[in-house]
Amino acid sequence: MNINATLLAQAVVMIVFVAICWKYVYPPILQVMQEREKKISDGLEAAKKADDSLEEAKLAFDKEMDQAKTEAAEILKKANARASQIVGDASSKAEEEAEKIMTSASTSIENETNKAKEELRQQMSDIIIDTTQKILGDEISPEKHDAILKKAAEDL
Amino acid sequence: MAKELTTQSYIDHHLTNLTCGQLKDGGWSCDPHDVENMTFWAFHVDSLFWSIFLGGLFLFLFKIAMPKNATADTTPTGLQNFVEMSIEFVEDNVQSLFGSIKNTLIAPLALTVFVWILLMNLMDLIPVDFIPVLAGHIAYYLVGGPDHAWITGPESFYFKVVPTTDPNITLGMALAIFVLTIYYSISVKGPKAFIAELTLHPFGKWLIPVNFVLEMVNFIAKPISLGLRLFGNLYAGEMIFILIALMLFFSSIAIGVLGFGLHLVWALFHILIVALQAFIFMALTIAYLAMAHETEEH
Repeated sequence: MNINATLLAQAVVMIVFVAICWKYVYPPILQVMQEREKKISDGLEAAKKADDSLEEAKLAFDKEMDQAKTEAAEILKKANARASQIVGDASSKAEEEAEKIMTSASTSIENETNKAKEELRQQMSDIIIDTTQKILGDEISPEKHDAILKKAAEDL
Repeated sequence: MAKELTTQSYIDHHLTNLTCGQLKDGGWSCDPHDVENMTFWAFHVDSLFWSIFLGGLFLFLFKIAMPKNATADTTPTGLQNFVEMSIEFVEDNVQSLFGSIKNTLIAPLALTVFVWILLMNLMDLIPVDFIPVLAGHIAYYLVGGPDHAWITGPESFYFKVVPTTDPNITLGMALAIFVLTIYYSISVKGPKAFIAELTLHPFGKWLIPVNFVLEMVNFIAKPISLGLRLFGNLYAGEMIFILIALMLFFSSIAIGVLGFGLHLVWALFHILIVALQAFIFMALTIAYLAMAHETEEH
């Protein structure tokens, strides 16, 4: 258990080993470790950011969705209103038209009837005059009894 | 040829280093009989061999652990994980004592000290006779002969395995750390502040000699206690392994079996000491260097 030059030799060896470790062994390992650590913390931060923006996007999506729903409901309402308006317009127009057609039809029927009546009257009076002439001879002439005939025709 | 194997000679054999050194008459010798005549310039070849081998193993393992193309994107595997874990551990310890002070030497120093001492201490767990007997046979058959007449048999060759049971090794490391402490004390605080620290406490400027003696004791005690603590713990542990191994010398089978059991128990317990002492040495190294960086007055 003597103290001798081994002590100095060990001190020198130690300084050499520490120097080698300090210069060549330690830095590359530490560098990789620190880089990785930074990368991981960056990654975590990015993940957190992505999470946040996802949350934001969800909120924005919900908002847009609500708005879209409201808009859709509004459009639907408008469309319904417009449709019923169109239908209303169309039916009132059709009624009007129908009425018009009815009116004109009844007018023309009346006209026709009147015309037919007139014709019938004319024919009737002609027949009556004819017949009367045949019965009475020349006693009666259309020129003399025009007024009577006219009155008779009117009575018919 | 061989001396008779006694308890005394067995213990002595395990506690003697293979020493090569300069004799007082100027020649060099590795003969254990010459150890008494050696000057200061003697080296414990076994301690230094294991110390350098294990230190080199540490550097080699930590160098090859990192694949050449390793970047922040490659997945760490196998040894790289272990190495990164060790570095993380050391960085945490350095961070807790150094805080904001930036010194890139401290962490590699602490890592080297920790892993190196751990490896040296772990040699204690190899059964006490394996390597010395193996080395004895190798030396006897390869080197033994007329040039090395002192190797009369495998048993006459000493080979101590655990470097940290050699006070030269532990105090040598403490010395290197002591030198670093002085260097940083002077370069960080400045020579004036460093001398003031050693002379103006605790009694003020009128008792400078007393202060100096007191502070010097405090200053010198640190490296010595650092080295001796590690040495003492490992030496005691090694001693107990040797004593347990001695139980096999008794002719009683019961004691031999008990010896096996005790060996296992002590080895398990010793794993704790091995790691704990390596950690303590590292933590104190960081602490002493942190003190050297403290600039505020106390």
